Amino acid sequence: MLTTIKCELKSFEDLAHSFAVKELAANREEHDRYPFGPFFDSVVTKAHEVGLLGATLPEECGGIGQDISALCIILDHICAADASLGGIIFTNALSQEIILAAGNKDLLADIMGNAADARAALIACTSFANPAETGTTLEAVKIEDSYLLNGAIEYVVLGGLSGQALVPAKIKGQEGYSYFLVNLSDRGIAKSQPVFSLGLHACSAVDLKLVGVAGKIIGQEGAGAKYFNHASDRMHAAVAAVQCGIMKGSFHEALDYSQQRCQGGKEIINWSGLRMILGQMAVQVKIAEMVVSEAAMAVENQEYQWNLYTRAAALHLSELACKLTTDGIQCLGGNGYMKDYGQEKRFRDAKHVQAFLGLAPMKKLSIIKDMLA
Amino acid sequence: MISPKEDISLLEREPRFEDSFCSIQAVPKIPKIQHKETRILVSHARRFNDEVVRPLALKTDLHSFEDPEYLPWDLVKKANEWGFYTMFIPKLFGGQGWSLPSHTYVIEELSSACVGIANVIFVHYLGFMTCLASWNMPLVNRICRDVAEGERTGNPCLITLAITEPGAGTDVEEVELVDRGRVTCLAEKVKGGYIVNGSKIFISMGHVSTWHAVVAYSDLKKPSENTVILAVKTGTKGFSFGKHEDKMGQRACCASELVFEDCFIPDDCVLCDSRDFHNSPIRSTADLVNQLIHYVVEVTRASVGAFGTGVARGAYEHALKFAGETAVDGKLLINHEWAQIMLAEMYKNVIAARLAYVEANYSNSLNGGVLNFLQIKPVYYYMKFVPQTVIDLFVVPFYKTKIFNWFMRQVFVEGQSVEAQHRCSGWSSIAKFFGTDMGMKNSQMALEMMGQTGLRHDQGTEKILRDSKLLQIYEGTNQLNRLNLFNCLIARNVSQARVFEE
Ligand SMILES: Cc1cc2nc3c(=O)[nH]c(=O)nc-3n(C[C@H](O)[C@H](O)[C@H](O)COP(=O)(O)OP(=O)(O)OC[C@H]3O[C@@H](n4cnc5c(N)ncnc54)[C@H](O)[C@@H]3O)c2cc1C
Repeated sequence: MLTTIKCELKSFEDLAHSFAVKELAANREEHDRYPFGPFFDSVVTKAHEVGLLGATLPEECGGIGQDISALCIILDHICAADASLGGIIFTNALSQEIILAAGNKDLLADIMGNAADARAALIACTSFANPAETGTTLEAVKIEDSYLLNGAIEYVVLGGLSGQALVPAKIKGQEGYSYFLVNLSDRGIAKSQPVFSLGLHACSAVDLKLVGVAGKIIGQEGAGAKYFNHASDRMHAAVAAVQCGIMKGSFHEALDYSQQRCQGGKEIINWSGLRMILGQMAVQVKIAEMVVSEAAMAVENQEYQWNLYTRAAALHLSELACKLTTDGIQCLGGNGYMKDYGQEKRFRDAKHVQAFLGLAPMKKLSIIKDMLA
Repeated sequence: MISPKEDISLLEREPRFEDSFCSIQAVPKIPKIQHKETRILVSHARRFNDEVVRPLALKTDLHSFEDPEYLPWDLVKKANEWGFYTMFIPKLFGGQGWSLPSHTYVIEELSSACVGIANVIFVHYLGFMTCLASWNMPLVNRICRDVAEGERTGNPCLITLAITEPGAGTDVEEVELVDRGRVTCLAEKVKGGYIVNGSKIFISMGHVSTWHAVVAYSDLKKPSENTVILAVKTGTKGFSFGKHEDKMGQRACCASELVFEDCFIPDDCVLCDSRDFHNSPIRSTADLVNQLIHYVVEVTRASVGAFGTGVARGAYEHALKFAGETAVDGKLLINHEWAQIMLAEMYKNVIAARLAYVEANYSNSLNGGVLNFLQIKPVYYYMKFVPQTVIDLFVVPFYKTKIFNWFMRQVFVEGQSVEAQHRCSGWSSIAKFFGTDMGMKNSQMALEMMGQTGLRHDQGTEKILRDSKLLQIYEGTNQLNRLNLFNCLIARNVSQARVFEE
């Protein structure tokens, strides 16, 4: 249990925990395999059925209507077993948050209401990019009340899985960018194969080419950055929770292994050199739990400058998770490097997750910018 | 003025001059033209990178995921064609005889393009060093001649070192631990040879190699004094390959299980048996086994430092390229001051890692270091300019003589002081854990700088991170190497210090 998060959320914890144990842990290696297969589809379907894909979505939109704490608890538990599902939940929630920030509740209700299956409910987006940072590569042309989108866009996460995608595009002749919802079965969209990447293999991304694709504008023209920033501020708490889960998974596997593996005539946990590494990992995990709880509470209580807490949480835990997961491999020696164990995946996933929502160094700079503003 | 006696006593204080400044002691003694060899080899390596490594690195990595049965025969064949497998084998054994210390610079070059492929080449020298450290000249010569023949005929012949067992990884690297460990690879002496039973795991390049320097034990209760190193040829009855591992990275280079079931190895394929070692005044049998293991790792851990340096460099080069091409917040990343500082930090990591392995090389080039002998000027020039046929006619026949083997043991076994062993082993551990930590650090930094782009396999940067992690594990984990450094260069000054005794 994350330290200060309210106990009403215990049911989410139980749900996520049992889901992780039942659906994720045993097949982790299989789900992670490349070339990708349909092997994760059934997990996503079940996650949809039990409501994991709509934790922060208002009830009137077909979600569970919880705040960010519930999402953090879910991600924490899921990611301790397999962060790929965490990546899917995260990306989908980010899309929902952007649409909510733009005030388009009805649209979400429509999508959820009409969704016959998980695929139809999922909304892909470029969850690793901050479009204001790297620029947009899509262009939208307004024709009367509708928009046509052209151009190429990279790394649309869940693009191979979901029915629709939220994409940033620049409207010709305007400053800033706007968000559009596109139907991924539109004939004007060409999808690449899922992009093989460092981590989160079962939460893959695709590159898209759009030619004359109808896009539904989300919120107002040119206000994309505003929506993104609002959603991203909240979702940084979720990044922290993903990392916290990965850290816990890595720590526990290292702790278990080091009680079983003997070298030098004793269990390696009894060599103080190794125990010190475990001690360091334990400290990092406990700090991670506190940080996630505090960040989530700051959002829920709308504390003064709550967004600095969430961003600091994500940045700090991403750094910790990258450190911890390399130690997590190290504790297992050669076995830690092999796919038969979970450690190498956690190491890749932590580094992968660090890239959510834009470049890590730029996020640090923007904290100061916001403090001065 | 300081008297000579006082001078010695001042310089013997910690940090001892002899151990701290290896390069300035070694450089004046090294043949001048040796650095030309290094230049030639580095440019050869760069060409190999352009023509072979870069075009194949990502393709091979991807292919290894698509086909879990993939073994790197294609890469081995290429490296063989380019002469990499005999390049650093001395002419004494029919190799090309390029200066051995240069191999680390070549490693750095290749690793900057793909450390997995660099390992496809250089793990072979781990095997070679193990054979060499037995100082069993006839057998080393036989194995190396097979390698040369393999190069001539286009049928690559590679050597591995097989020491790690399922129950003993760290333990087999340290004589002080091995008696407490769970080693199971038994070599029973029988008439005319040994019968081997047991298995070895994680043996790099096992499936594609011909000779395997297998470390086994004639008494599992006291392995430190009963170590046998056998040269086992692929195809020998009773020897087979088990699985090869599904690894996170360095997928070009397979890691194999070797299985021995009543495998008979004749006496003439025994590199050494520690029961035949003659105790010296300064070393017991276990110490001699320790010296042998350390002779190997003194060179190969410095090599792993060079692998780490290459990885750090590769990561830096990826980040630099990205920063020069990508606009962030409206201007090129390379023109953001923070990015410049980050790149400078990465550059420094490369340089510092390189300095460490270079210094370890120099330590090995000093008296008592394994690289010293071939760099003694008359020996060096003789080896360089005397035709191979002359060496084959006038040196090789002596390998079988007692006097020659006595001479080699005098030079390398008796001739290495404990201080020199500690200096060489300590430095190679520094190079190893520092270089590989820098590899990891720069890979992490590159990905931080590149964000989403760095995550994609087709960019190659994420592969560097995956590849890099292994370097902190093999050739002794980085923790073990820290302990070895403590043991070699720190503990000696603190009489109450005990290592591995908690
Ligand atoms: C891909 C790969 C290729 C390899 N290639 C070869 C090869 O070609 N030939 C070969 O013989 N071997 C090879 N190895 C084996 C390698 O050298 C070992 O993996 C390494 O020595 C660590 O041993 P281990 O994996 O058994 O880990 P363990 O020894 O089980 O170590 C597990 C953890 O415990 C720690 N630990 C163990 N003992 C102590 C102690 N006394 N004090 C403090 N901490 C301790 C370690 O540091 C580590 O963190 C390879 C390994 C890999 C992964």
